[in-house]
Amino acid sequence: MMTRRWAWLAMVAWFTGVSANEETQVTHLTDDAGDRQPLQTMIPVYPERARRDRLEGDVEVCFSVDREGRTSRVRVRNSTHRIFEKPSILAVRASTYRPLPDDKTLPGIKTCRTFRFRLTPVAIENPTPVR
Amino acid sequence: MRQTTGWRRYQMLLAIFCVSSVSIATQAQEAKTVVGPVNPELHDGAEALLAGDAEAGVRLTLIGLKQANSARERYTAWSNLCAGYVMLEQLDTALDYCNRVIEATDGHWRAYSNRALVYVKLKRYDEAEQDLQKGEALSPGARTLKAVRAMLRDAVEPVAPSIVIDDRRQPPGPGDDD
Repeated sequence: MMTRRWAWLAMVAWFTGVSANEETQVTHLTDDAGDRQPLQTMIPVYPERARRDRLEGDVEVCFSVDREGRTSRVRVRNSTHRIFEKPSILAVRASTYRPLPDDKTLPGIKTCRTFRFRLTPVAIENPTPVR
Repeated sequence: MRQTTGWRRYQMLLAIFCVSSVSIATQAQEAKTVVGPVNPELHDGAEALLAGDAEAGVRLTLIGLKQANSARERYTAWSNLCAGYVMLEQLDTALDYCNRVIEATDGHWRAYSNRALVYVKLKRYDEAEQDLQKGEALSPGARTLKAVRAMLRDAVEPVAPSIVIDDRRQPPGPGDDD
């Protein structure tokens, strides 16, 4: 539980979200400065063609969050490769935030989330090819 | 790297895509036109392989091979048998059929793709690279060759996907307000 109000780096966590590939390593970076906290964060699927062609990219998605924690008006603000945009949009649409309690008068908010798709080298168990 | 069920299924589908399309053209004989496959077992074998039934596909293709009436039918049968035996994980037999096609034609890009896939599974990576280069020279941009090349690259330089989800507070940009 984050108690300080300045930015924290979240620990590396393994998510088992609906859209997550079991081999995908996920890092979720959050800070305590926001008014709304994520409740369920869906992980985008790394596109198969991107993986095949060894493509990496970043997508910044901006959206609104209502009092109930639902996202809407999801749009891409920046991206380095279009192939990652749709999975990012779908992930945000399926994500939710913690609902506001009734005594809170805050309206919905606008916020942005950045997804960084990367392919990291894996150590080979048997590097010597067999002929 | 342990093969997941999804990865093995992907390899099977890849072998299926390497199956030569057996589109036997209509054959006109004097005043008569024969419509439909000339070699039904060869045709049905290809269909079975495309449907994912490797055992039926290989069985029918072997029958079709015995009934082959032309060199083209033999090459098609050998190419499909290579793909079929890859699906059955009988790699030495698959390699034998792929070798037959390549030795006979030396111009069938699918045969190079199939054999490259066999070499990858046999961990004979240099030979896989050579076949891929030959296949790519014959059919640049072929999707199947790209897929086999990706498999080779994953075998030699494996990577794992990772995603960073950055929710840290960022200032709104111009145009974010509606």
